[in-house]
Amino acid sequence: MENKNNKFVELEQGGGGNMSNELIFEIRKFFPVVKNWKNIKDDGAVFDLGKEKLVFTTDAFIVDPIFFPGGDIGKIAICGTINDLSVMGAVPIGISLSLVIEDGFPKDDLKKIMQSIGKISKETGVPIVTGDTKVTEKGKIDKIEITTSGIGLASKIIENGGAKAGDAVIASGNLGEHTVALLASRFNYQTKIKSDCQSLTKEIQSIARYLTACKDPTRGGVAAVLNEIAEKSKIKIILNETDLPFAKETVALSGLLGIDKFSFPSEGRFVATVAKKDAEKVIKVLQRFNRKAKIIGTVTKGNGVWLKTKLGGEKKIEVPRGKLIPRIC
Amino acid sequence: MRITTNKILSEIEKKATQIDRPLRFMELCGTHSQTIAEHGIKELMPKNISLVSGPGCPVCVTDQSDIDIVVGLALFGIPIAVYGDTMQVPGNLMSLEEAKRNGADVRIIYSISEAVEMQKEKPNLVFFGLGFETTSGMTAWAIKNGLTVYSAHKLFPPAMEALLRNKKIKLDGFIDPGHVSAIIGTEVFQKFEIPQVVAGFSGEDVLLAIDMLLGQILENKPRVENAYERLVKKGGNKKALAMIFEVFEVGNAKWRGLGEIKGSGLKIRKKYQKQDAQFVHKKLIEKIKKKIKIKPSACKCGEVLQGLIEPKACPLFGKICTPENPKGACMVSVEGSCNMEYRYGK
Amino acid sequence: MCLAIPGKIMAIKNQLATVDFSGIEKEINISLVDVKIGEYVMVHAGFAIEKMDDEYAKEMQGYLKKK
Repeated sequence: MENKNNKFVELEQGGGGNMSNELIFEIRKFFPVVKNWKNIKDDGAVFDLGKEKLVFTTDAFIVDPIFFPGGDIGKIAICGTINDLSVMGAVPIGISLSLVIEDGFPKDDLKKIMQSIGKISKETGVPIVTGDTKVTEKGKIDKIEITTSGIGLASKIIENGGAKAGDAVIASGNLGEHTVALLASRFNYQTKIKSDCQSLTKEIQSIARYLTACKDPTRGGVAAVLNEIAEKSKIKIILNETDLPFAKETVALSGLLGIDKFSFPSEGRFVATVAKKDAEKVIKVLQRFNRKAKIIGTVTKGNGVWLKTKLGGEKKIEVPRGKLIPRIC
Repeated sequence: MRITTNKILSEIEKKATQIDRPLRFMELCGTHSQTIAEHGIKELMPKNISLVSGPGCPVCVTDQSDIDIVVGLALFGIPIAVYGDTMQVPGNLMSLEEAKRNGADVRIIYSISEAVEMQKEKPNLVFFGLGFETTSGMTAWAIKNGLTVYSAHKLFPPAMEALLRNKKIKLDGFIDPGHVSAIIGTEVFQKFEIPQVVAGFSGEDVLLAIDMLLGQILENKPRVENAYERLVKKGGNKKALAMIFEVFEVGNAKWRGLGEIKGSGLKIRKKYQKQDAQFVHKKLIEKIKKKIKIKPSACKCGEVLQGLIEPKACPLFGKICTPENPKGACMVSVEGSCNMEYRYGK
Repeated sequence: MCLAIPGKIMAIKNQLATVDFSGIEKEINISLVDVKIGEYVMVHAGFAIEKMDDEYAKEMQGYLKKK
């Protein structure tokens, strides 16, 4: 296993789990200058403007396939950045859009992707204010890559480290359906489930003041983001197997492909912690957007993320390792 | 379901107290180990019951020499198709994943029928066939449909026999595999004089099997019971068995950890030798074998597979052997004992 | 990796059947079993390996009656 000793970047390091964190750490060590920016390890970095706080985020998108039931790479690219700002408690004010397009990419497909970006921009009122477009030789990239950056303003930042013992853990709807739609089309399964890809800005703004921690479970899924909240908040999260926010199709596909459903990314959902006294009220509001919003667990003293199983045992929910590969034996 | 669980658990508690001596049950199938870990079943057991994992993870028991040969074939330019978790198993030279990174044509497939399709465009494609009776039937079907195969397929009962022969291993009962039994039936297990229950894969299924094992011990009547009748028939799946033995014949096989076990392997019959990679690439394989330099390793996979030691007793465990950088097969497969101990252990 | 969930045969075309697993459908090879539409099968790596009783966990029901 000689060439595993860190000479090359490995695919597993892009999966959103432990190995991604190691890679990010290796990259970040070259940038010691931080100045007045805060939250540089969160979904967005924060700059204090005095009365308000500026939140800045960026994300690169590669998706296979680029069109899938419920969305396309463009919709993910704009929603992803809007959502990264939203989970920090910010109202997005402007987005930049950079495209790298492979020579020979169909204009019709480009049009469809731009239309879906335009549609979300219109619906959310978040403008695309600047951008860049490059075309590369055939084979240098896979079809199209999109990078979006965004800025937003917040009066109060929702910290990932703010969860407290006694809080309730909530999900804004069923999780992982983006992954179900994608994996189904990649491995030739048929299902009615569509990607959950959508902007979260209105949902989060409606209840932002109650949230003690908030994340959107994209890469690494709910397993990764709840572990992050637990670690940063120095608390333990317990989920109940009987209250899990998964559709029966998600459970089935997870079983069929042998991939843990807790690691399935969503592109239009968030999980958060709220004080127990506010939990019912928050869920009522969220159910106006998505009737599947619910309380999925509790926060206690301790550490890690645990699942209380139907049989009464406790199972640790780990940060996912490596990439999502179906396994057989 | 809650009521059922509580009822079974209290039965287990009651019987374990009555028996009042330490009991060791071995689950033979990797998916049962997974179920036990996933539901935290070990914690629910009375103090005198311990559950140990057996050699039922197909990737884990695949011998180093088979990995080395297939890696060798790949490096000599032969396209290889494999099931996903075979990729990372370390060989003496490298894993298939590393061979792929070095430019070899190694493809992950989900179902062997994909390999049959690929073979139409890549006629020299070799499928690395591994697994027990469950996957052997599919491989037999694929061979009948034109696929060339390197067979490391194994039969399950001879491994159980080998475990029982080893006097160092003390066991009070087997949880027999679910899908293997669906193919081979339950009658074949009757020759083993130890309490056995064929179980399904839900948490309740496994608890039920443990309760039934305890029942057999209390009555002092070791036998084979079937707690998975909704799937497993007494005589197994006759159609699949016929397909397996039309294409394969019984031979010896090397198991990681257990060594060579007589009559435990499936060799491709002469009738299909043109699709037997060991026949087609005979000279190349000889060449590869000569080049293999066996690296000594402190990996204790072999003992872990037999339930002789716990994963944590291996000096490599968690230190230089982790799921990200596995040194042994038991850490590679998500059904491997070491991998599970690493992920679920407290 | 053995699957714990059975699938229902929705359609059959030669050696292939469309099998439904709680809302997820997939083409499955049925060369190793004799099945009809409407029956349940256990699937392993893209192949149906055996027919399955559709009443869930009849062993469990039997167990409960016995006690």
